[in-house]
Amino acid sequence: MPEILLPIGPQHPALKEPVNFKIVVDGETIVRLDLDISYNHRGIEKAAEQRDFVRVVPLLARVCGICSHSHTTAFVKGIEEAMQLEVPARAQYIRTIVAELERMHSHLLWLGVAAHEIGFNTLFMWTWRDREIIQDMLEETTGNRVIYGVNEVGGVRCDLTLDLIRASFEHLQKLEDRITQYVGMVKNDETLHMRFSGVGKLSKADALKYGTVGPTARASGVDYDIRKDDSYLAYDEMPWKVVTDTHGDVFGRTLVRIGEMQESLTIVRFCLENLPEGPIAVKAPKTAPPAEVLSRYEAPRGELVHFIRTNNTDRVERLDIRTPTLANWTAVAVSLVNQNIADIPVIVAAIDPCLSCTSRITLLNGRNKKTSLMTWDELRSYSGEYYRRKRCA
Amino acid sequence: MTDPLTLGSVTEAMNGVGTAEQVSRNRIRIKTNPGRLHKSLLLAHTILTCDHLIQISAVDNGTIFELIYHMTGPHQTVISIAVELPREKPEVMTTSGIMPASGIYERQIHDLMGIEFKGHPGLTRLILNEDWPKNEYPMRKDWKPDPGTFYGGIRGET
Repeated sequence: MPEILLPIGPQHPALKEPVNFKIVVDGETIVRLDLDISYNHRGIEKAAEQRDFVRVVPLLARVCGICSHSHTTAFVKGIEEAMQLEVPARAQYIRTIVAELERMHSHLLWLGVAAHEIGFNTLFMWTWRDREIIQDMLEETTGNRVIYGVNEVGGVRCDLTLDLIRASFEHLQKLEDRITQYVGMVKNDETLHMRFSGVGKLSKADALKYGTVGPTARASGVDYDIRKDDSYLAYDEMPWKVVTDTHGDVFGRTLVRIGEMQESLTIVRFCLENLPEGPIAVKAPKTAPPAEVLSRYEAPRGELVHFIRTNNTDRVERLDIRTPTLANWTAVAVSLVNQNIADIPVIVAAIDPCLSCTSRITLLNGRNKKTSLMTWDELRSYSGEYYRRKRCA
Repeated sequence: MTDPLTLGSVTEAMNGVGTAEQVSRNRIRIKTNPGRLHKSLLLAHTILTCDHLIQISAVDNGTIFELIYHMTGPHQTVISIAVELPREKPEVMTTSGIMPASGIYERQIHDLMGIEFKGHPGLTRLILNEDWPKNEYPMRKDWKPDPGTFYGGIRGET
């Protein structure tokens, strides 16, 4: 059978960011993949060079809507390192709480998206409903649901009151009940097993070779987690463990994310119970001395890096951001090879790409140049149909 | 997690390929030249067991370009290998042969900074759109958007 080029994307008005895949297929089997992520370049790194530190922070919160806290924390902690600033413990604890709430809501969102991709819409609705508990907590704490605006160079901008802490414990209890239910579901549900097990396999050696980060790497047995390896905020002051798995497939990635949600619950509870007294910020100087800082941060999707160069002014000379999704693309390209077209939605969703919105598919026959068009929805229902047929056969 | 690397052991492993310097608690920076870049990365990858490429940072300080390869491994010490490239001829050999992970980062740097990675299997556009004019590299310090040039979007609309 001749090889066929299968372009997917780039636009979908309802979902996250745009991406275009060019997938070469032989029959229903994927031969190789190339991608085009150019649709969303906004020049934030360039803009960051032209603003002072105070004004860069809100800009960086807008790099990504889901992990806005990750980007601002990575940046402020880098600048604080360059300024050699001692940040109050209470501020570090509050940052940790928001970071872990963000991780939980991001993982719940992912679980919903993954469930939706396999047609399991009940689970999708459940996880997105439960995600609201965290959104409410974030709103009560910071005043915002998406871009929290908690960070500033030198500390945080909002304090936790006793009433808030008390209310948070109630929310966390509800959340724990729900997460426990998902743990059971993921382990025992037949549909999830059928669509996730053995799909998108990535060995430990390959995960390291292709520079994978975050839950994608940890599901292949790589125990790298920046919170432990290059500890920051308050993570080295509390008991928690790095969640790994050896399945190396989409199922493993699901187990890791579920496990991480449970760990996040522990971390948030510990922080609320042991919140140190004292100020929440120190006054930061206007300028930073010449320095070169590599600020690493464990975002929900994996290791996020902000490379910062300062030069005695109130602006950065260079801010180089490496997001976890970029690091994981190479591995997606590898784990898609030799898989079925029906598994594209799940494998792509499994790294939790910060875009995942692909809308239409053009089927292009390499030999007779015939093209046909397919929407992402059609691909999804094709996937469902394929597995239904497979099950009956 | 194994023991962190010390400045002494890194200097010894590098064997004169570059000069090492401890910049923070867990970060050692090695300065080398483009000719020795390949060898130093290979040494870091094999002898220092750095199995994870964190990032290739690209900096334009107005006069020269700098590339900094940050790597780490089970020891969790960050090894940063830095090279300087002249503005007139920003070229360096690709490292995607040693670490396939660097391929996508090199494409990004090529797009935004205009650094040529010789021997890269597919140094095509990644970050910028297909309409972006050739030989314009937005992350260079001396780049300014030209009002008469078309940078993308719909022609005639801006």
